[in-house]
Amino acid sequence: MKPGTRLKSAADDTEVMVIRTGGGTIECGGAPMGEAKPAEPAALNPDFSAGTLMGKRYVDAGGQYELLCVKPGKGSLSVDGVALIVKDAKPLPASD
Amino acid sequence: MATDGGSGPAIPLARWADRRLRLLAKETGSPRIAALDGATIVGERGANGGYVIGGRISAGIGGSRLMPAADGGWFALTLIRAEDRELLPALFLDAGLDIRDNDAIAAAVARHDCADLLMRGRLLGLPVASADEAPPSPPVEVMTRGPHRKRPAGHRPLVVDLSAIWAGPLIGHLLWLAGAEVVKVESPTRPDLIRRDDPATFDLINQGKASATVDFTDAAHKAALIALIRRADFVIESSRVRALRHLGIDAGALVRETPGLVWLSVTGHGATGEASDWTGIGNDCGVAAGLSRALADASGEIGYVGDAIADPLTGITGAIEGWRAYGSGQARRIGLAMSAITARALQEEREHDPAALHAELHAWGAALGQKFPYVRRREMFAPVRKPGADTARYFPAIVPC
Repeated sequence: MKPGTRLKSAADDTEVMVIRTGGGTIECGGAPMGEAKPAEPAALNPDFSAGTLMGKRYVDAGGQYELLCVKPGKGSLSVDGVALIVKDAKPLPASD
Repeated sequence: MATDGGSGPAIPLARWADRRLRLLAKETGSPRIAALDGATIVGERGANGGYVIGGRISAGIGGSRLMPAADGGWFALTLIRAEDRELLPALFLDAGLDIRDNDAIAAAVARHDCADLLMRGRLLGLPVASADEAPPSPPVEVMTRGPHRKRPAGHRPLVVDLSAIWAGPLIGHLLWLAGAEVVKVESPTRPDLIRRDDPATFDLINQGKASATVDFTDAAHKAALIALIRRADFVIESSRVRALRHLGIDAGALVRETPGLVWLSVTGHGATGEASDWTGIGNDCGVAAGLSRALADASGEIGYVGDAIADPLTGITGAIEGWRAYGSGQARRIGLAMSAITARALQEEREHDPAALHAELHAWGAALGQKFPYVRRREMFAPVRKPGADTARYFPAIVPC
């Protein structure tokens, strides 16, 4: 999957842009994400329902995956069942 | 104008800035503002730094570049932070891109249409612009109104300045020149980096401000900050709207609840709607305003006009709008959009004196490689406080961090 690909959650409103990916299954709300929304929404898994925040970057512990939330939702992001974590805010620009 | 022989042409729109400063001086009655001039306020950073007119590369550190896209459009991309370069593979749909190589980035721009890059760049939160877009928001927008406050004669306004870089701090500086007490509040983890990287400019626009550091992620610190805001007359911030919300600071509610509070939100492209999620800084906002296209029309060469010109134009505009709101006594949250303010300045200058504007743009376009115009360094009226030096005074309830 190319960086820049937009993925939609099958279980909630979340949409992400892929910054980096390692080839595993990217999920939201416990269900695999796809470029199109499925006809039948998936159930939101309560274990992956902490919510996503607009503009936050989500990463895995190994630094292989990075997803940018471009539309927030009730689900939370994971790869192959392992929850992603929020990356720290960027520093302010030093100039313009 | 030129006094050292190597000094370049006047910065276009400096005369607009000058007329707005006259207005601010008249409305505030401040002799210190009356002593300012537009050429100094838009040009002092470039003069401090010995900037050279860079054409398609922005002056100073060259953080912004104008590049031709596949469809013939011109795409401006500002890359100041290493973290922003990590987003470039997603911008260009290319995992193999060498993100440190500016030539490779230009080649990637040439493979994509400008509109696609603009759409993806804005989703990614990158400061991007097209030379041929129209700003999406009004220059000045009253977003929220709140209760009135009657102030006693001679009241000295208190300004909580949460902003960084140039436009927001310049608003605080102009209000300070007009007599306000200003406290600059910074996060210890995300300070205003201009202090470190451009002290000559930082000192001019932050002199006389008290300095406090507050950990925005700490509940007690945040409560103390909100308590200070509730007794302030002005708040200036340049955060993205959602960033404030994520921090748990509800600007709209504070304005609705605090009599007379004037809250100035400095943004790249607007504080409401979709554009409130976009980022924008001075150079790319000038491109989004149509200024680079105007330069190409006048001179035949597209490029950046001035130095981050949207910043000083917005600083002056914000001070005028803020001062007027303060004078009304009504609490207001006012969104300031740097791209639209610059577009309005360009439009007003076109109406005011089209021949002079054309001549200035033509001269600027022809001056590639020349130095910025000489500006005499302004006098300092007060010292610059060390970061956090006044935390205990403004936030006695929290342990200084």
